[in-house]
Amino acid sequence: MIEVKYFGAVAEKTQCTFENVVSSNISLKDLLQDLEEKYRFESLTFSVAVNQKIVSKTTDYNLKTSDIVALLPPFAGG
Amino acid sequence: MNASSRYNRQIILPEIGETGQYKLLKSKVLIIGAGGLGAAILPYLAAAGVGEIGIVDDDVIEVSNLQRQVIYKSSSVGKYKVEEAKAMISELNPDVKVNAIAEKLSGNNAIALFEKYDIIVDATDNLQIKYLINDACLITNKPMVYGSIFRFQGQVSVFNYENGPTYRCLYPDENSFSANCTDAGVIGISVGIIGMLQANEVIKMILETGEVLSGKILVYNILNNEQQKYDFEKNNSFVMDRNTFEEKYSQKENLVEDISAEAVLDQIDNQEALFLDVRNEDELPKITFKNSIQIPLMNLENEIEKLDSKQAIYVFCQSGIRSKMAVELLLRNQFQNVKSISGGALAMKELLTKEIKI
Repeated sequence: MIEVKYFGAVAEKTQCTFENVVSSNISLKDLLQDLEEKYRFESLTFSVAVNQKIVSKTTDYNLKTSDIVALLPPFAGG
Repeated sequence: MNASSRYNRQIILPEIGETGQYKLLKSKVLIIGAGGLGAAILPYLAAAGVGEIGIVDDDVIEVSNLQRQVIYKSSSVGKYKVEEAKAMISELNPDVKVNAIAEKLSGNNAIALFEKYDIIVDATDNLQIKYLINDACLITNKPMVYGSIFRFQGQVSVFNYENGPTYRCLYPDENSFSANCTDAGVIGISVGIIGMLQANEVIKMILETGEVLSGKILVYNILNNEQQKYDFEKNNSFVMDRNTFEEKYSQKENLVEDISAEAVLDQIDNQEALFLDVRNEDELPKITFKNSIQIPLMNLENEIEKLDSKQAIYVFCQSGIRSKMAVELLLRNQFQNVKSISGGALAMKELLTKEIKI
């Protein structure tokens, strides 16, 4: 099980602040592709963290069971 | 007034003492933006005895600012924010030198301004200017204290601290979009909390105490009080030097032409012209004319063929920030006659309502 957390405008799209994805040994790239298909983030941009660390290269990262992924878009209000 | 009696309660903290108070007095902090975040940061830095504070903002106070920009009074509507902020601070703590800078931060003034201060605080409300602040901090080698809000969530971090990671290491994509407070809505408490956390980072850096939020972003959700810190690393592939900076920022600013809501409303019946609403479909107030269409900014690039590059196009969003980005995008795609409506749908709605009353 992998937990995915959503923030800001991304959470508005997903209509939830987190969800559990039942799958192990999935690559981060595939997970992000699945989420994109499900929610259509389109031009919403975000950084991706795994276990509280921002991953700079999301194309090359394999997830393990019990990893926590977070999608962090930039905020602009002030 | 005796300085040590004014600051006694903080001087008796072992982490501050007389030495720390002296460091505060000698420090110079520049706050970009005198809106919700600025209004929270400013009085706390001033009360603590930060010696010199600059505030940059060219806005005047509007009645809709008062629910969150709590340093302003109802009687100050229409006055420059920086002037009012300066007056408020001089009553709070006359020891503080306040520089009220009623200008828009741009590539032309950023570097000269930043050079005069030790710490730069980002209290702005749009993404493009955060890249400008970041890049000017890189050139002048100053730390940038970042704070921003999306509805009930906030982010805080310190960039470029002792050569640490920057805003671009966290968010490399300069063309991303996120709604500001005018577009997304906000309550004063969220900007208050995030502004206070930014002020706290400033004070820690001056006192050289505690752990600065460098290489970490704090994300705070006030609805459930969850907060998390995420680590990020420095990406050395981005290089910013003075020439790159000037090339990047001096031309960009003159590109987008604005038109006032008043002037553009004369074009409502002009069938040659097109009004382009780049807001999302669920945004209010709805504004539709015979010659208007809606393409949300995020879809604009993909649906650009719906538009005629030779037609006169007036672009609007809620407040005028996304429309500027849309105009930039259209200009890059060889559109010849596009303008951004300043003040956006809110300004147009206000005029339309007035007209109906007459």
